[in-house]
Amino acid sequence: MSTLIELSGVSRIYTRGGETVRALDNASLSIEEGGFYAFMGPSGSGKTTLLNLVGGLDRPDQGTVVVGGSSIDAMSGAELAHWRAENVGFVFQGFNLIPVLTARENVELPLLLSPLSRKERREHARNALELVDLTDRADHRPSQLSGGQQQRAAIARAIVSDPRLILADEPTGDLDRASADGVLDLLAKLNRTLGKTILMVTHDPRAADHAGFTVHLDKGRLESVDEKVAAAGA
Amino acid sequence: MFVPLSYNLKSLLVRRASTALTVVSIGATVAVLAGVLSLQQGFETLFKETGRADVAVFLRPGAGSEGESGISREKADVLKKSLAEIALNAAGLPLASAESYLAVRMRKLDSGETNVPIRGVEPMTFEIFGDQIRVTAGQRLRPGTDEVIVGRKLTRRVRGCQLGEVITLNTTPFRVVGVFDCEGPFSSEIWGDLDRIADALERPVYNRVIARLKPGLDVQAFAERMADHKDVPVKVQTERAYLADQTGALSITLRVIGVFLATIMGVAAVFTSTNTMLAALAARSHEIGILLSVGFRPIPVFLSFMSEALVLGLFGGVLGILITLPLSGVETGTTNWNTFTEVAFAFRVTPQVMKSAILFALILGLFGGALPAWRAARMDPVEALRRR
Amino acid sequence: MPLRLIFRNLLKHKLRFVLTVAALGMAVFLVCVLRSLVVALDAGVRAAKSDRLVVQSAVSLFVDLPLSYETKIGSVDGVRTLTQFKYFGGTYQEEPGYFAQFGVDAGRLLEIYDEMEIVDGSQEEFARHRTHCLIGKVLAEGRGWKVGQRVPLVSDMFPRADGGPWEFTVAGIYRSRSSTVDESTLFFHFDYLFESVESGSAEGPNGAGVYAVLLEPGADPVAVMRDIDAMFQNGPQRVQTTTEAEFNAQFVTMMGNVPFFLSMIGGGVLAAILLAVVNTMMLAGREQTRDAGVLKSLGFTDGAVSGVLLTQSLIVCLLGGLLGVAAALAVSEPLAAVLGPNVAGFALTSEVILQALLISLALGLLAGLGPAVRARRLEVVEALRAEV
Repeated sequence: MSTLIELSGVSRIYTRGGETVRALDNASLSIEEGGFYAFMGPSGSGKTTLLNLVGGLDRPDQGTVVVGGSSIDAMSGAELAHWRAENVGFVFQGFNLIPVLTARENVELPLLLSPLSRKERREHARNALELVDLTDRADHRPSQLSGGQQQRAAIARAIVSDPRLILADEPTGDLDRASADGVLDLLAKLNRTLGKTILMVTHDPRAADHAGFTVHLDKGRLESVDEKVAAAGA
Repeated sequence: MFVPLSYNLKSLLVRRASTALTVVSIGATVAVLAGVLSLQQGFETLFKETGRADVAVFLRPGAGSEGESGISREKADVLKKSLAEIALNAAGLPLASAESYLAVRMRKLDSGETNVPIRGVEPMTFEIFGDQIRVTAGQRLRPGTDEVIVGRKLTRRVRGCQLGEVITLNTTPFRVVGVFDCEGPFSSEIWGDLDRIADALERPVYNRVIARLKPGLDVQAFAERMADHKDVPVKVQTERAYLADQTGALSITLRVIGVFLATIMGVAAVFTSTNTMLAALAARSHEIGILLSVGFRPIPVFLSFMSEALVLGLFGGVLGILITLPLSGVETGTTNWNTFTEVAFAFRVTPQVMKSAILFALILGLFGGALPAWRAARMDPVEALRRR
Repeated sequence: MPLRLIFRNLLKHKLRFVLTVAALGMAVFLVCVLRSLVVALDAGVRAAKSDRLVVQSAVSLFVDLPLSYETKIGSVDGVRTLTQFKYFGGTYQEEPGYFAQFGVDAGRLLEIYDEMEIVDGSQEEFARHRTHCLIGKVLAEGRGWKVGQRVPLVSDMFPRADGGPWEFTVAGIYRSRSSTVDESTLFFHFDYLFESVESGSAEGPNGAGVYAVLLEPGADPVAVMRDIDAMFQNGPQRVQTTTEAEFNAQFVTMMGNVPFFLSMIGGGVLAAILLAVVNTMMLAGREQTRDAGVLKSLGFTDGAVSGVLLTQSLIVCLLGGLLGVAAALAVSEPLAAVLGPNVAGFALTSEVILQALLISLALGLLAGLGPAVRARRLEVVEALRAEV
């Protein structure tokens, strides 16, 4: 297992109305390739900030973020965009599907950034939709899909360009129990069978159960990293 | 119960950007309409309000304007001296005068050419019009000389019209000895001695005869008598009627242009304000849900939004008038297509223009607000409350 | 470029899309019509032939040149042939509506104006009889006149002694390959007019109007103009010989500021519409904030994301422009027929169409700029938090 992500002394500071908030304070962390990490902690603990930094959606004010050997904190905007397209898939709490496009079209969207032909794009999208078991509802718009279905579409979109890394921010936050379980199982499957590295921010302890590692944060600081020990006899 | 107007006014203030946009959009459209109407009003009032009802104009029967008319010297004499309807001056002489008229080619001060009316007059012309004709610089022209006086408006528009300059008509030079002013189209004319002008321009006949009429005369009956007169049949009109006739083509054209422009721009403005109001509405659907659920019925809600639209229209109308006002008094000139002569006049933003402008603005507001208001009234309160 | 996304975004609010495109369409329609008017006003000037001159009185457009000038002008070096050109000012009693009539040298007209092409009837027929006339295609089509049609005209300038109308018969219909000759005119034999006045069967000024002169190939226009002017320096009527372009231009400059005003109005219309479209685009931009964030998170560059909004704006404006041009094209022929006699050469030229489309594109760029720049600068995290 090699190290995929290396955060060193990363800080992210916001100034809101005269007050300074340290969303992330001098965090250092190594993420192994192929791992499934759950990030937990109270509100404002910096979990989402850390996720955004790893995904290149945000830049650290101090420290470095190295993913797959690339220092993404030093990349320009265009380079970061390109890097994101190739290396990261995002799954959000609010699904963030584009309302005017169908599920299939949403899934195809990231492939517009790739050199694939139209036929190839349809092929890849179809595969991704099969993987998340959404083939029969694929031509519906998000407004016509349930929460769970929308999230599965979002996951399909996240993996369609075959990124190494999947970043999920409270993926089950807006879902009912049954759908939530389905989504978590899906993520676990992606990690197990396709070897995707998954970083998941969550409030739900049961979600954390699906992950191999749990990282605790509080007030912007890394508290602990616990490895899940396989239950005896499982 | 009715939705209080203060709600609408406050809403307009809160959504400043879209309110401003609708107002400006309506304002611009209204300004265009008002501008063209002011042009037309300026042109019309120049002619219509300055003609006198006690001065008669005699033309050849069938002539539409003095340019087309021709009256021989003999006939002119008969008209001047033999008609009992003509008033007499203090010396007992008839207040009647023959005139010649020709649109002469002259260069404009800026560029290009224009046609300037040259009028040959007799001394009696000045008596007929009295104080209306004021010499503002230099002196009156002396009869029998090659002197001319120019209308004030020409001094700013046409070359060669300054005091002391010489205007050559055909082959004869005439010197500008004075500048005169008068309300009405005379202020865009050059006046000279009747016979000297006629000789220089080789006009064998005069164009018209004018006369001050005795008070209380029935002009209509007089005109009918003169139309069939056995010796000197003529067309008789008051000067007022004559000038009104001269406005014809250009006035109508300006009105038509104004209406055409206003309609097209108005439609575009209605589309625009509908759009803006629809968007504003969508953002306020939560509020509307509250209004409806609190107990306001659909019709008051509809009226409420219509009144908002009308207020927007009103502001737009006022803005449009404000934009147009600076034009009032600005002098411009064009060719009167009836006589093909240059005529200078000023934009006039009259009360009529303002009334039309406001009415138009209100109509725009009304049409623009109709669809959004209707949609607002038909909203399902539960749906609306759910949004945001 | 996510085209599907762009189109879906545009159609998401159908009414708003339709209203915006329609409003733009109206504005562009108006601009096309106004521009065409301005172009038409200049058309006669620009198309003017360089081998034709016009000899007119130096004094006034309304003064006829003597008939004796014909042979004298004809004798000037460089003059190939010439014709009288006398404005008749007649009206066709049965159906009102203005069209111009000119008395010309029937045998020489088509030689001098070789852009005229007979499409029905013949030149020989026209020349054969004094009362035959030639009419333009637009005039013929507008009134349903064919070869053989009787056209009785009554002229205030030339009343007939018997009180009846002048009788003309259509012997030919022409079309013009150039805007120098408009197709709403009636040409008749000047000789007919001259002989009638001479013999007393009609009254009126007995002059030739102006003379239209055709130069010998290779003749120097400036020299010929100078020679003709010099010939009549001492009268009886001084002349001013100009090129055909200058002659036509004088009518345009007579319009004074009208073309200027028309352009200003066009500009005002565009400004008002631009505001409206800008607002619509900004609204759309705000609504698509979260989508922009999503796209950026997926790896679309800032440039690509701003491109989405800019393209939306361009499409809306271009569609509006096409709609406006289509509407103007549909209306241009009927409009030309209505304006025909007064404004010759009104047509929607490809020049104007191109200008209109370019203006639409420019509007699209301007309106889309704000939202595009905003989208470019959006921080992904912030954008994702935006409400939809």
